[in-house]
Amino acid sequence: MLVIKYWSLFLVSFKQAWSKKANLSGLLFFLFILLFIYNRLWEVIAADSLTSGLNRTFIWYLLFAEMIILSNPKIDRILFDDILSGTMAYYINKPISFFFMRYVEAVGNMSVSFFVMGGFGTIITLLFTGKPPFEWWQFPIIFTMCYLSSCINIIMYTAIGMCTLWLASIRTLAMAIERLAFTLGGAIFPLSIYPEWFIDIAKWTPFYSFYYLTIKLVYDFSFSNLLQAACLNMFWILLIGSFIAFAYHKLTKRINIYGG
Amino acid sequence: MAANLKNLIKLFFFIQKSNLKTAFLNKSDTFVNVFMMTINNLSFVFMWWIIFQNRGSINGWQFGEMALLFAIINNAFGFFALCTRGIQLIPELIENGNLDNFLITPQNSLFLIATSEATFANLGDFVTGFLMFFLSGHVSWSEFGIMFFCSLMAFVLMFSIRLLVSSLAFFVSDSQRLGDNIFISFLTFSSQPASIFTGWYKIIFLTILPAGLLSLYPVNLIKNFNLIDLLYFIIGITFFALLSLYTYNRGLKQYTSGNRFGIK
Repeated sequence: MLVIKYWSLFLVSFKQAWSKKANLSGLLFFLFILLFIYNRLWEVIAADSLTSGLNRTFIWYLLFAEMIILSNPKIDRILFDDILSGTMAYYINKPISFFFMRYVEAVGNMSVSFFVMGGFGTIITLLFTGKPPFEWWQFPIIFTMCYLSSCINIIMYTAIGMCTLWLASIRTLAMAIERLAFTLGGAIFPLSIYPEWFIDIAKWTPFYSFYYLTIKLVYDFSFSNLLQAACLNMFWILLIGSFIAFAYHKLTKRINIYGG
Repeated sequence: MAANLKNLIKLFFFIQKSNLKTAFLNKSDTFVNVFMMTINNLSFVFMWWIIFQNRGSINGWQFGEMALLFAIINNAFGFFALCTRGIQLIPELIENGNLDNFLITPQNSLFLIATSEATFANLGDFVTGFLMFFLSGHVSWSEFGIMFFCSLMAFVLMFSIRLLVSSLAFFVSDSQRLGDNIFISFLTFSSQPASIFTGWYKIIFLTILPAGLLSLYPVNLIKNFNLIDLLYFIIGITFFALLSLYTYNRGLKQYTSGNRFGIK
């Protein structure tokens, strides 16, 4: 019964996101521009350094990285509004978890962007590069791993949204996290091009497994890498999940005392 | 006309003063946000620094040119976010009917919309912008003057492109994120080394998404000032400014009230 409730929420959110064709077109336009620019950049760098196939490896890498980053439905802002406006108080007495409701809605929204970008991006990247750096049988595995990373990404942004409890504005924090994903997660340029000391720092952050380890499967696929990414992701989910549970507990307590 | 302009300028400074006071109501929060914005920008600079460390130069561009580009873009975006960010709200205002509130005032509606929102954290963009200028290796008073002029012109271009895509909302419904994405694409396009765009790539770079006007010409002007580049730069930006104003006014003519009743 409970599963059906959440499934319905997922479907409603999925259909709503699907109906916003103008939004999706904007997203695809941005993805196209990114692929176009970085394909050109890697082509020029490859020509300068007389290395062939650089753009093939890095553009496929960029495609999967951007699918994770751009499909993020900004759940942090939704939670920020819910908590600050007091709307949350209307939901917590319903026979459904407020947190899971928002999470499932965000996953529904993300799924539309993720799949649409996946289809469109694959065609465009194929046109740019000819063939991918992985075997086609590996594609569904990489795609699924990146989809799971997107789901985990939403958990991380949920935790940012929960910081509304302590911060007056979370916009800059969310932006800082996004930029850290670009650098420490190697979401634009793979971490392999960074110096060792930087990679050593990145390894201690969740971005390393959420983004880099998962997306790296594109050009370095092996089941040991896949297992390493899955295990580290589980560890970070537990840690971030505990923080969310703690913040949620504090939040409901505050609402029960002061109201919405 | 001149009196009207004088009033607008006075009103502009009054709004900026009020925004400043509001931002500093919570000083620590404001400073933390400015600091985080600077870190945001510097992390992006760091990525490019690594690329240039690895490769030396990209088609003739070195880190010095990239630093100049970051100086121009960050300063221009700082001006945009502090003074005219409100135009980003046009699609939202049209959709929820709140545009009427701006249209019924005796002041210029575009001016009021533009100045209705400011993000103070973007002071961090100026910190990054000036820091990048001093790191670029092109540090003289004349180069500083050209950089400042180019930053102001780049701001006009950013404003024009944002107004152009925001005005889409007059013609296409539910276009908030479409406009956001086109504008981000424009900024992303502009933040790349201009030297990678050659041949027909360069034509796209200077026309369809005129990012070249933001990156190619300002950097060329600072490094090697010449009247021809300056002329292209000014004509290009003037064209997009006039186009955006025309589109906005055309959209306004087509706009019918949101039929929203309320008192403000």
